[in-house]
Amino acid sequence: MRRTRTKGGRGLVCLAMTFLLLGWQASGRAQAQQAPATGDTRAALIARQQQEKSKQVKPYEPNKAEVWVKKLEQQFITGSMRWHPFFQSAYRGGGFTVGAGYAAPVSAYNTLDFRGSYTITGYKRAEVAFTAPRLFNRRGALTVIGGWREATQVGFFGIGTDNTSADDRTNYSFKQPYGSALLEVRPARNWFVLAGGAEYSQWDQNPGKGTTWPSVEEVYTPATLPGLGAKVTYMHLQGTAAIDWRTSPGYSRRGGLYAATFHDYKDADDTYGFQQVDYDVIQHLPLGRDAWVLSLHGRVETTYGKDGEVIPFFMLPSLGGGSDLRGYSSWRFRDRHSLLLQAEWRVLVNSFFDTALFYDAGKVAASRSDLDFDGLKSDYGIGIRLHGPAATPLRIEFAKSNEGLALVFSANSAF
Amino acid sequence: MNPRTLFSRLAGHRRLVTTVAASGLIAAAALAVVHTADPKFFSDDPIAREPETADASGAKPWDIDLFYDLSYNLFVTPKHVPSNTRAQNLNTIDEVPDSSWFTNRVGSRALTADEIVRGPVVNPAPVSSRWTITREKTSGDAPGFTAQDASGQTWFVSFDAPANPQGATGAVVVATKIYWALGYNQIEYFVTQMHPEAIGIAPDATRRRPSGERTPMTQADVREVLDRADRGPDGSYRAAAGRLLSGNVLGGFKYHGTRPDDPNDIVAHEHRRELRALRVFGAWTNLTDMKAGNTLDTLITEGGRGVVRHYLQDVGSTFGVGANGPHEWNEGHEYVYQGGPTRRRLFSFGLALSPWQTADYEKHDAVGRFEGDSFDPEKWKPRTPTVAYLEMRDDDAFWAARRVMAFSDELIRAVVKTGQYSDPKAEQYLADVLIKRRDKIGRTYLPKINPIVNPALDAAGQLTFGNAAVQAGFAKAPASYKATWFNFDNATGEATRVSQTDSALERMQAPAQLRTTPGSYVKVELSATSAEHKSWSQPVQVYFQRQANGWRLVGLERLP
Repeated sequence: MRRTRTKGGRGLVCLAMTFLLLGWQASGRAQAQQAPATGDTRAALIARQQQEKSKQVKPYEPNKAEVWVKKLEQQFITGSMRWHPFFQSAYRGGGFTVGAGYAAPVSAYNTLDFRGSYTITGYKRAEVAFTAPRLFNRRGALTVIGGWREATQVGFFGIGTDNTSADDRTNYSFKQPYGSALLEVRPARNWFVLAGGAEYSQWDQNPGKGTTWPSVEEVYTPATLPGLGAKVTYMHLQGTAAIDWRTSPGYSRRGGLYAATFHDYKDADDTYGFQQVDYDVIQHLPLGRDAWVLSLHGRVETTYGKDGEVIPFFMLPSLGGGSDLRGYSSWRFRDRHSLLLQAEWRVLVNSFFDTALFYDAGKVAASRSDLDFDGLKSDYGIGIRLHGPAATPLRIEFAKSNEGLALVFSANSAF
Repeated sequence: MNPRTLFSRLAGHRRLVTTVAASGLIAAAALAVVHTADPKFFSDDPIAREPETADASGAKPWDIDLFYDLSYNLFVTPKHVPSNTRAQNLNTIDEVPDSSWFTNRVGSRALTADEIVRGPVVNPAPVSSRWTITREKTSGDAPGFTAQDASGQTWFVSFDAPANPQGATGAVVVATKIYWALGYNQIEYFVTQMHPEAIGIAPDATRRRPSGERTPMTQADVREVLDRADRGPDGSYRAAAGRLLSGNVLGGFKYHGTRPDDPNDIVAHEHRRELRALRVFGAWTNLTDMKAGNTLDTLITEGGRGVVRHYLQDVGSTFGVGANGPHEWNEGHEYVYQGGPTRRRLFSFGLALSPWQTADYEKHDAVGRFEGDSFDPEKWKPRTPTVAYLEMRDDDAFWAARRVMAFSDELIRAVVKTGQYSDPKAEQYLADVLIKRRDKIGRTYLPKINPIVNPALDAAGQLTFGNAAVQAGFAKAPASYKATWFNFDNATGEATRVSQTDSALERMQAPAQLRTTPGSYVKVELSATSAEHKSWSQPVQVYFQRQANGWRLVGLERLP
């Protein structure tokens, strides 16, 4: 059956092709018998084609994709009207965040940015930021922010490293209005950085929301946990001296940061005041012609009490979360001092995409002398990052610790 | 596709075949009645210049969006399947005629060192005693201005990155002359100096601020640009100054399609050989940035008509350094995004080494990451592909390689000298690398297809020709050459075989039976037998027309 049909098909094909060939030959004979009609020259033939096109010329019209790309470009890059995404959560550990902002220019370079965000756990942030990025003849940048935020279920696992457990989690919430100003200056427009700032804010600590974990006041009392239920008004002053020769804080494959920051938290009621010094060291070591980067980060946060005052539990240095001990829950470890050590082996997959293996280790301690390498909590993991030359808009990581596996989504680099 | 396969496939589409056959009959009948055909060769073949006869004065400026162009070329263009179409702007002897795109120079005629050193320059150098900034730089993020010199001439001024003194300015001046010699329309570029105290600002010069508003340009704006440039020990800035083109600027051109508003632009750009050949020229000079934004169309008036003239306006991303610093390590080896290397590095966690990780670059800040030892012309990649880049065939590459090979060592050293590098070792290194890469291009593309060139048939019937690969020393002479001779009917295209001749040398005698009446045509299929190069057995089709005093070459087809 199949063979018959094929034969029939072939016969038909032969017939068709014969007709085609006959037609072609007839056409060829016609060509041979008649003089060229397009003129005697190649130039005339081309001229005729150009004259034909001249009847159909029209201005270039970009297609839909080009129009949209241009619109997006004007919106986010070159334009003056700047709706933008805003992924900064109200507080660490809030989970997946959505948000948006509108940056309105107030002068040639300065902007007012109205922005807000919301997380799946109900964290909220709304603020207005004034940014003046080119003060002192491009040597300084000033940021002034006023806003309000609420975090509904911040984890608290107790004080210390080894004497706490993931099962000890409790929750607290807080609401905070705040106003701050931060001035960063590069006196010689190079790697030397000085920064100073002030913040006036009120921490209103309240019971945690959610049903998975108990609220903090169900486990602790104000006597066992300083600051529980407190409403603290701080004037926070800070100053930083740094050497920073990274290409950008948001994404860098070379350079380093060596910084020390002093904080003074003055409680209006002289109850919860304290001081804190942070030391940060970041070094990016490119290897194999930037194909790999060994990135190292060390951080020490150490607090100093004021006479007759205590540090509330929610202001203690902490570890745990998507940018430090990534295999642990956010705020997993808290105490008066902390030590963090991080190493990443970053691999350049292409110009927009990196992957990385990382190892984090750290501890918190009640005493500075205990900030040693004994009893460090650690994790390791793997991640991918979408990045531009100066920013990392998406970082996704899997981190493994002895307390389980953590999935990290972030709109910033780890360090 | 062979005929058997074609018939077999058609058998499965009976209705289609019936329709096609009927259409064929109707078309043939129509052709027989109304269509008159063209002969294979016209009286003016081979043309030396592509005519531009229509008035293009209605062409309007367009703006090819940088991000769209980049995205399209990164994510859409790579999926383009090359059509294997012969370039469509060739004359009948497989050459690119002069046009508003291209002018035959090196490889078509002897070019002297003086000519190449002068390059596109026809007017005086800028008078650098005083500069007046007239406009901010509007494209690219490299530091630069539009400025007038002391004589009132307008220039596009660009600088060197602090880490690569003389790199970008030297590259653009040298590359401009190379690409001019290769045939492309180029801007006149000079190395010049800018002393900060000699810089003024035109009263109407403005700068677009991040807020979107335009405000008068200030000295602080000038300082901001200069802060990103390399400053010499005497406080001055070495700059490259490109002269403002005459005519109305229409924007860049795309490497595919045609300008819809230019009636003379009738050949799709991806089928223009000179644009396809940029794959070879780009590989030679490491011209990695082939975006539309680095091209420019201008509307000029010629013979009372508007004509669009096409420029490669910025060939400064050559060699191993750009205006912002050295090329990325992987430039020239990979597209900005390329699936294969991305997957390989992703799944091997970077342990599968890429060639750019092991290439040995001699350190010269003025030259950057440019070397010849690991260079492979066929593996070279620009930052983003273009459709013309993908459409390049072996005959296009052969054509381009002959032009690259036409640069003698002397010409290369002369043109590199125009970069005015203060370090003679850098100058020598750059020339050495260009020579090394030139030879690799020749070694790659000249023997790849039948390299028979320059066929000539004299009045006595002596056929002579050359072998480009053998002449360049990149291949051994073949065991023999074969010529199959035909009398050719130009009107019908019918070729009647006469005989075949063989020779171990690059000459042989034509058979006596060839028609020799004036105006008659012969066709010769020229091939070679080489154990090392099987492709040489594919004949080059050569056509001669009998003249009163001998034979004239009118046709050459290297590949169908």
